[in-house]
Amino acid sequence: MTATVSPSSAGPMLRRGRSGEDVLLRVAVTGGALAILGMLATLVLVLFVAALPSMRRFGPAFLFSSEWRPNALPVLKLDGHGHTIRDPRTAMKVVDHYRAPAFGAGASLFGTVATSTWALLLAVPLSLGAALFLVRIAPVWLVPFVSFLIEFLAAIPSIAYGLWGMFVLGPWMGGPARWVRVLGMQLPAGIESRIGALAIHVPGLRWICTTSVGGKTVLVPPTGRDIFVAGIILGIMIVPIITAISRDVLRSVPREQMEGTIALGATWWQSCREMIFYCRSALFGAILLGLARAAGETMAVLMVMGNTAAVPTSPFMAGTTLSATLAGEFPEAATSDLQRGALMEVALILLVMSLVFNIVARYLVIGKWQPSAATAH
Amino acid sequence: MQGGGATFPNPIYQQWASDFGRQHPDVRIEYVGKGSGAGIGGLIDKTLDFAGSDAPLNDEELAKARRTGGDVVQIPSVAGAVVLAYNLRDLRGELKLSGPVVADIFLGRITQWNDPAIKSLNPHLVLPDIPICAVHRSEGSGTNFVFTSYLCTQSDEFQTQVNFGKTVRWPIGEGAQGNPGVTQALEETPGAIGYIELNFAIDNNIPVALMQNESGEFVKASPATASAAGEAALVDMDRYKTLTVRLWARPGPNVYPISCFTYLMCYRDLGYLRDRQRAQAIVDFFWYAIHDGQDVATELAYAPLGQGVRQRVQQELDTITFNGQPLHHQP
Repeated sequence: MTATVSPSSAGPMLRRGRSGEDVLLRVAVTGGALAILGMLATLVLVLFVAALPSMRRFGPAFLFSSEWRPNALPVLKLDGHGHTIRDPRTAMKVVDHYRAPAFGAGASLFGTVATSTWALLLAVPLSLGAALFLVRIAPVWLVPFVSFLIEFLAAIPSIAYGLWGMFVLGPWMGGPARWVRVLGMQLPAGIESRIGALAIHVPGLRWICTTSVGGKTVLVPPTGRDIFVAGIILGIMIVPIITAISRDVLRSVPREQMEGTIALGATWWQSCREMIFYCRSALFGAILLGLARAAGETMAVLMVMGNTAAVPTSPFMAGTTLSATLAGEFPEAATSDLQRGALMEVALILLVMSLVFNIVARYLVIGKWQPSAATAH
Repeated sequence: MQGGGATFPNPIYQQWASDFGRQHPDVRIEYVGKGSGAGIGGLIDKTLDFAGSDAPLNDEELAKARRTGGDVVQIPSVAGAVVLAYNLRDLRGELKLSGPVVADIFLGRITQWNDPAIKSLNPHLVLPDIPICAVHRSEGSGTNFVFTSYLCTQSDEFQTQVNFGKTVRWPIGEGAQGNPGVTQALEETPGAIGYIELNFAIDNNIPVALMQNESGEFVKASPATASAAGEAALVDMDRYKTLTVRLWARPGPNVYPISCFTYLMCYRDLGYLRDRQRAQAIVDFFWYAIHDGQDVATELAYAPLGQGVRQRVQQELDTITFNGQPLHHQP
């Protein structure tokens, strides 16, 4: 009697045990999910509160003003003849009043947009070409090898790209005063100097290598630490991510679709165009994810950008981006509430921007484009 | 004891901390070089027992500190200098510059190396016809503070357009990170000019310009000429009854014009530490810094404090108290 357990009594026990674990697991996973949401909410809240002093002072003009000036500027007291007055006791110039510090994210926003656009111009044709090659041309034995290399590139830490940009690419691009002999011609050593030397003779392109300082036009000394180089570095950095995602997207185009085009007599070019057109919104999503990475990149940009809070008028001039401004100025901003607030507002802009990029991109790649849901990154 | 702040004096503070620890085995001094601003912030919110900073507290910081812990003692620990380094490989001889010319370069008013203003200071040099690329520190730093403060005394236009501070808005040029970043940019870019700390230039053997001082003399930066600037500032220390005086733009023989103090700071009353021995340790460490500590300064390419400055720092140290009771140094 004791040795046999009837199924009817074992059943409920088993179910009870399982339901206890169920509840535990349910609480744990729900808690985990809520914690992530909570973290995001806290992050936004903390940034928002810290940014309040700057928001109150500058309002929406913060987004457009390119003046980033953490210190007050004195306006000197002048005598009747327009000369400065010196304090007879201290021999210091007498200050009439101060113009308060001013902060605006305009220059950083411009730098972010300029470098990201330049990066996309370089990376998109390269990545889509590589993806198309992998899906349609590459021999089967080559695909895993190239795919591995692309994923390997994506795993390289950004500071390594930055160092490469600083020590290899930058000096290669810049170098205003060195001249080298190439095929019997005297040419400036750096690529930028060569572009500049050509552009100066083309009326519409002079802006590439000149800028205006105090009303007069001067040549920009190409240094290899500017928007041009930062864009190239960013372009190289986002090639792997765009390639990997668009490869998966292209791969998920139904085979019948492609066979259909070929059956209809499409050339290789026409069928590729059809393929890209078929999954264009998912490919656009892949590009957006690359853009999100370019716009948020910090270390590599900080090292090759020249870090100057002004809107550059030439691609060979130094600039700054949202993330580079944050990384560069935060350590010394600890004691000024307004500067800290302005930096927090920059962080908030960066956060919102990458949230929007990511949400839109994910919607395009995964949400709307069902077939690729399983493979998309 | 936990201290932190300016990175410029970090090497010598580490040396002092370990030497002091050897003399006082029961005390452990730690100093973390993470920037003057971080040091001051740590002092204000009392996460640090003492702070190092290249710039004295400004009014806003002083007011904050008074609210949390009362008056602050700020003593010079060593002097240093900011030097102008350049990359002109074919230049035969030493470049001479003056304050107004440097201000004009960093304002973007002088853009070529063969500008008449530079030529007139260097009549014996053949200056190349290449553009000047001005390199500045991109992140906030005490070096920026000293350099811009000096240029403000040299040019009205610089004062009204840039003014001084740890981070300022530069009208032209490019930014590089830290002394190593500026040096790297200088080495890569012919025609570049930038400012770095003296000890960094000495350690890395970088050519620097002679600067014209307020007496019209061209002076090479060295620990000796920076110390001389400290002694030249004694007048103001006595006149304004403070140790936080400017060292830049001081007249006098062999006085380097872009010199500066770096400061150690703690609260004047250390009662908040609750432990008299810890309070005593801070005073003893500061005492050590301005006495035995000065002997290693020149070796590490810092400028030791002159006799007159040391004497005034001692007087200041005697004002530190623990709940109102004086904490004299006990040898």
